[in-house]
Amino acid sequence: MMELTFAQKENIGFQYILDSLHPNSPYGGERVRELRPFTPEEKPELQRQLGNIRRVLAGEEQCRKTLNQLLRVFMSLKMIRPTAVKCLETTLNEIELFELKRFLLKSQEMLPLFRELQAVFCLEGITLEDTEEALNILDPEGNRVATFYIADGYSQTLRTLRKEKRELEERLRRLPQGEEKETLQAQRARIAAEEELEEGKIRQALTQALRPHIHKVLHNMASIADLDLTVEKARLARKYGGTEPVFTEGRLSMENMVSPRIADLLTERGKTFTPVSITLEKGATVITGANMGGKSVALKTIALNILLTHCGFFPFATSAALPLFDAMYIISEDLESVDRGLSSFGGEMVRFNQVVERLPGQFAFILLDEFARGTNPDEGAAIVQAVTGYLNRQNAITVLATHYDNVATFGNAHYQVIGLKALDVDALRREIAALDGHAGVERISRHMNYGLYRVEGKQDCPRDALNICRLLGMKQEILDMVEKNYNI
Amino acid sequence: MTEVPMTPTLTQLIAPYHSVSIIGMCKNAGKTTVLNRLIEEAAQNGRLLALTSIGRDGEDKDLVTGTRKPGIAIPEGTLVATASDLILSHCDVTREILDTTGISTPMGQVVILRARSDGNIQLAGPSITAQLARLREDLFRFGADLVLIDGALSRKTLCSRKVTEATILCTGASYHKNIHTVVEDTAYHCQLLTLPETEDEAVRAWVQSMADFRGVAIFGGGEPRILPAGVELSEALRRSGGEARAVFFGGALSDFVLKPLLMSVAPLKGLTFLVRDSSKLLLKQDSFEKLLRRGVELRVLDNVNLVAVTVNPFSAYGFHFSKDELMERMAERVNLPVINVMEDKT
Repeated sequence: MMELTFAQKENIGFQYILDSLHPNSPYGGERVRELRPFTPEEKPELQRQLGNIRRVLAGEEQCRKTLNQLLRVFMSLKMIRPTAVKCLETTLNEIELFELKRFLLKSQEMLPLFRELQAVFCLEGITLEDTEEALNILDPEGNRVATFYIADGYSQTLRTLRKEKRELEERLRRLPQGEEKETLQAQRARIAAEEELEEGKIRQALTQALRPHIHKVLHNMASIADLDLTVEKARLARKYGGTEPVFTEGRLSMENMVSPRIADLLTERGKTFTPVSITLEKGATVITGANMGGKSVALKTIALNILLTHCGFFPFATSAALPLFDAMYIISEDLESVDRGLSSFGGEMVRFNQVVERLPGQFAFILLDEFARGTNPDEGAAIVQAVTGYLNRQNAITVLATHYDNVATFGNAHYQVIGLKALDVDALRREIAALDGHAGVERISRHMNYGLYRVEGKQDCPRDALNICRLLGMKQEILDMVEKNYNI
Repeated sequence: MTEVPMTPTLTQLIAPYHSVSIIGMCKNAGKTTVLNRLIEEAAQNGRLLALTSIGRDGEDKDLVTGTRKPGIAIPEGTLVATASDLILSHCDVTREILDTTGISTPMGQVVILRARSDGNIQLAGPSITAQLARLREDLFRFGADLVLIDGALSRKTLCSRKVTEATILCTGASYHKNIHTVVEDTAYHCQLLTLPETEDEAVRAWVQSMADFRGVAIFGGGEPRILPAGVELSEALRRSGGEARAVFFGGALSDFVLKPLLMSVAPLKGLTFLVRDSSKLLLKQDSFEKLLRRGVELRVLDNVNLVAVTVNPFSAYGFHFSKDELMERMAERVNLPVINVMEDKT
């Protein structure tokens, strides 16, 4: 239900997380490609996965060496699920039997490592089955060499045929070109054909004998995928500060959320990400703040961490309590496609109508970024006020970012970007006076506090826009007039 | 009895090397004869042999007789890297599967096997240099002492030193009915394949940092300058006022590219023209020679270590040259051992 487009996943920084996952096995890689959000009904599975991340994080230090050994085996695995599935249906050829044997050998190699890890981790729902019996079918002599050969010992007929073939080959090697050689070659070709036939029968018997073991092989592939992905999710949780979420029936409360993509980008530029904290109830919450104020960053960070949680990741926050949603909708002008031939405003409205149509019967998370910004401010404000009032009464949690006036009164909560509040504007202005325009903008953004604070009661006008004008050296005469207009 | 100077055999010529490719000027030049000879003699000398091929000859039917091409006969113990479909349907040796490589071909992925009996196989291998180099290392890992690569037709230049230490070029009467053409074209190809590798480390480093560069870059007097689209090279060289020392062609250096340059009065003397390898040189012999006469030096980044030219005086089209004349004329024109495939035997 939480179907976001690729552009939306990219935009909120979810794709960045997917790209940061580097599973060690092709089975883990496949899991990453199949990642999708869980529905509220699938909560037990989601909780199992999240619990396993916690267990890996807790036990990792203690068994780092064993884990690394296991991951090295993971890296050497090849994707042979199609071969395993084929084994259930038809006779495998010798290359496929080789692939299966190699996987079974690797499974045996992994078994003690897996057990050692499990003793510490106690991972839920991840087990590696012993498939030695299957391996014995392909390696009856117990050589445990990672090559495959239909050995003479599989049948007396094969042994006899190969002996005959060998004798002919030895005679052929000594013979000069000629009639006798040709006769022998033809004879050899006949025996080679019989050998192939006999090998076919043996392959058929081997496939049949393997068949009852295939469900264990498939189970092991799933467990490898599961552990591989869990270890990667744990690595990201450690790297960016993830926390195990608590599930609620309605209220969402997240402290110090981070967006790794934006955080990494800022780090590269020598800046730091201001974590986002917010509490959302059923109904509409309005976020306001001046341009340059980071409202979009806050929205994206919220959306990202909700989606991550639904996909079985630890959200990147110091604490996280949230409900599971049936659906998640993002409406934002920069994502509505202009190429569908609609104006950005038109596109936004079409998308909004689609969302409203789908709301009955689901518990949704809706995000609107600067809704109706593409139209004139008077009408825009009226539209956003009405939309906020409507969404406030729906079975959904809605977050809107807007710079229109008097929207917050139509919602049930109001947050504002801290911005330049509590900053000595005069001191900063003296600092900026010495710089040219662009350097000034840069300096302001460095002092901008992108955190959110909850506005209680009636909102006071933040005046960040006026402050930015002042900092960038707007004429005093004009500033006075702006100030006068504020007070009307 | 007068003493005749002994020409070494192919097996003797490749004795110092652990990877050798065999390439042909045309079909029926005797490539398979050479390959079978080397296989046979490697077995006699106790060298553990591994075989693979660069891509695959498009046709597996013989050009003239229309019959299916015979497979390559190998002795027990030989390592083979070939496409899985060919193993499963065109291979009559008893085999042990050693590894799957993940390198795909139109006939399935390349699989490494060890022959556990004598028999016939068919070869199809990777067609990308990096994959060939990796596969060669895999074969060494499985114990190969000599990796022989069948350089399928028209893939003459994928056999640079990056892939094999040594290369044998096969030519013969099937190439052309005129013996002069056979000798001259073969000699010209030898010249192209063995063009010296550049010693200009600045150019080499720059090209390596621009892996997919397909344009033209001019070196000399400061930073390399990429030739903008629509600007003639001759004009750019004239404007460089003699500061240019080398020109690198990322794509093909063809007659078409060269023609306006050769017709212009641009100063070319002392310049070096560079391409990645000789497969990028699509020049008729007279353009090539004109370029040299104008004082240009041609260099490549990777060349081929040609160790011998084999000749097959018999044409698949039903005529043959005098073997002595062909041998003599070829030996005069190529600065390499020339061997008659029909007579080379230890």
